Amino acid sequence: MSLIELKDVSKLYGFGDATSVALDEVNLAIEQGECVAVMGPSGSGKSTLMNIIGLLDRPTHGDYRLNTQKVSRLSANQRARYRRDRIGFIFQSFNLLTRLTALDNVALPLLYKGLSMGKRNRKAWDMLERVGLGDRAYYHPRQLSGGQAQSVAIARALVNDPQLIIADEPTGNLDSNSSRLVMELLSEIHKTGNTVIFVTHNPELTRYATRVVYMQDGAVKYDEQTKLGQVGRYARQVMYAVPETTEEDDLAGVSAIMPVLDKRAAAEKAKRTRLAKRRKTARNRKASTK
Amino acid sequence: MSLSRDNFRLAYRSLKASKARSALTMLGIVIGVLAVILVVCVGQGLKQQIAGQLGRYGRNVLTVTPGVSNMSGFSMITGISGSSSTLLTGSDLHTIENTRGVAEAVPLATASGSVTGDHTVSSPFIVATNANFPDIINESFSSGGFFDSDDNSRTVVLGANIAQKLFNNNAPLGESLTWRGQQFLVAGVYNFFNAPPFSVEANFDNAIFVPYSTAQQVSGNTLGIYQILARSNNIADTPQVVTAVHSALVASHGGSDDVTVTRASDNNGISDPTIHLLTMLVAGAAVIALVVGGVGIMDVMLVSVTERMQEIGLRKAIGATNRQIMRQFVAEAFVLSTLGALTGVVLAAAGVGLLRVYTSIQAVLVWQVIVFTPIVAIAIGVFFGSMPALKAARKDPIEALRYE
Repeated sequence: MSLIELKDVSKLYGFGDATSVALDEVNLAIEQGECVAVMGPSGSGKSTLMNIIGLLDRPTHGDYRLNTQKVSRLSANQRARYRRDRIGFIFQSFNLLTRLTALDNVALPLLYKGLSMGKRNRKAWDMLERVGLGDRAYYHPRQLSGGQAQSVAIARALVNDPQLIIADEPTGNLDSNSSRLVMELLSEIHKTGNTVIFVTHNPELTRYATRVVYMQDGAVKYDEQTKLGQVGRYARQVMYAVPETTEEDDLAGVSAIMPVLDKRAAAEKAKRTRLAKRRKTARNRKASTK
Repeated sequence: MSLSRDNFRLAYRSLKASKARSALTMLGIVIGVLAVILVVCVGQGLKQQIAGQLGRYGRNVLTVTPGVSNMSGFSMITGISGSSSTLLTGSDLHTIENTRGVAEAVPLATASGSVTGDHTVSSPFIVATNANFPDIINESFSSGGFFDSDDNSRTVVLGANIAQKLFNNNAPLGESLTWRGQQFLVAGVYNFFNAPPFSVEANFDNAIFVPYSTAQQVSGNTLGIYQILARSNNIADTPQVVTAVHSALVASHGGSDDVTVTRASDNNGISDPTIHLLTMLVAGAAVIALVVGGVGIMDVMLVSVTERMQEIGLRKAIGATNRQIMRQFVAEAFVLSTLGALTGVVLAAAGVGLLRVYTSIQAVLVWQVIVFTPIVAIAIGVFFGSMPALKAARKDPIEALRYE
């Protein structure tokens, strides 16, 4: 049996005329030990899918089995316990608690498991060593670089020995060097037998995946197995067919390939670039206010 | 709901992170606790002082006052008494003196008219009484003594304050003063009375004591007696004497029950309602302050919940249950109100100490209040704090994570 089995899973928001479909009867099975990259334009339902797989949200319709257990109708507290024991989350904006040291941040999930302080600290310390930040245990998140902060977040996701790691755009806020560091860490985790699902906009990062799921309009459009180290076939097509500009793309010089795109794509790209720029400035503003 | 050490550690840390806000929140509880404890301690102190003063009368002293003692605290404060207040007369004094078992009786009446010594006091407190006064109210003299039982003697005794007003700092003993055109010789001057600042009896430090019969002659037979103090022959018989005096007076008044006779040593009934009511009123206001303090905690906790929405979202995402989030915030409210309550207790204790040292208010520490007020304060804080905590606990993790 698969680790994750989604059967006709839909997620609707709103009521009546204002109903919007975030997920449209998604069927997906993910085996233990896979490393799945989830791609797709904004609003394609990637995050909703992650929230449902990560038991942060419940599907409106359909069945979700995790480890063959039916989890789609669990109560909020039951889901919380599942998250605590089986799932590790990594977020785009790290979501470390700024008041706590790196060590305390990593130990946080163990606190809710009810471990004693000594045990918590020992395990958290081990995890920090594993992500190469043993010497930063008593630093506060503000004193860490982006890559280091995300590494702490990864250690936090791992500290409970989860079966499943869910990373929602883990490199979205990082430069390419830090991105590589973080992805290397994730792939190491994958190699030790964990199942990893990550969302990304960067086709390059599908090199770390064994499978690429491409989503559009709330449904899975392509689903392919890839070899580690290779960019997914569809992901590459996607890269050119529907231009999606991120900071990483800008750095990679996407503008250089502009002439090969047809007029419509160019127009759309210009629009998307504008949007992305707006998003970027908004993000920068947010970052500077933080 | 058990609160673990970890919850308290978390709470302490998050409160430390916003010190000024936490301190301001605590202030409400601090003031509430301080006020409640201080008020009750001062009230209790006054009660004890008055009880102590009544105790000085001795266990064989009875007091006779006009009117029926249906004095509630309300009428004590407003002066609106249920009964008419005709005063006692000289014949009542005789009736009491002649009752079996009564050793002696002392009338207390007030007279009016300005008095002139070296200076003039236009409306002094003049007490007409008899020579037995010092037998019942035992206070020391700075010079001289009380007047003797010569019925028509033109002598007066001065309280310490009035002596100074009339004669500055000169020793007034043997000086004379004028009241209603008559010359009086100062026979003695009291030291300050060993009395509390608030007192059921008038402040005798301001009193000019004149012989009752003389005062009656001078002011023309119109002196009403507001209280008669009597001493029974022995302590054991005092309760019977109280009844005997009462029935004798009722008989002489033609059967109308219009006097109150009580034993002075269990006379707390007169003073208590006043102090008690006052204490209750002010303590009530203080309790309101306490509740307002609780509302303050709720306010700050609501802000805190909103401010830390992302944190709540994250904690829930990594596996905190609703109850665990709730506990964390309740622990915060608990720590806030406990620190506030303890600070309040310490300040109140210090306040009681300062009052005792620097004022004549002999406040006492009432341990019940010191124990229960903080408990109530903490309960209020936790109660008000648990509403925002519930709000935090019920947040949807996705929404909370997305919250900016």
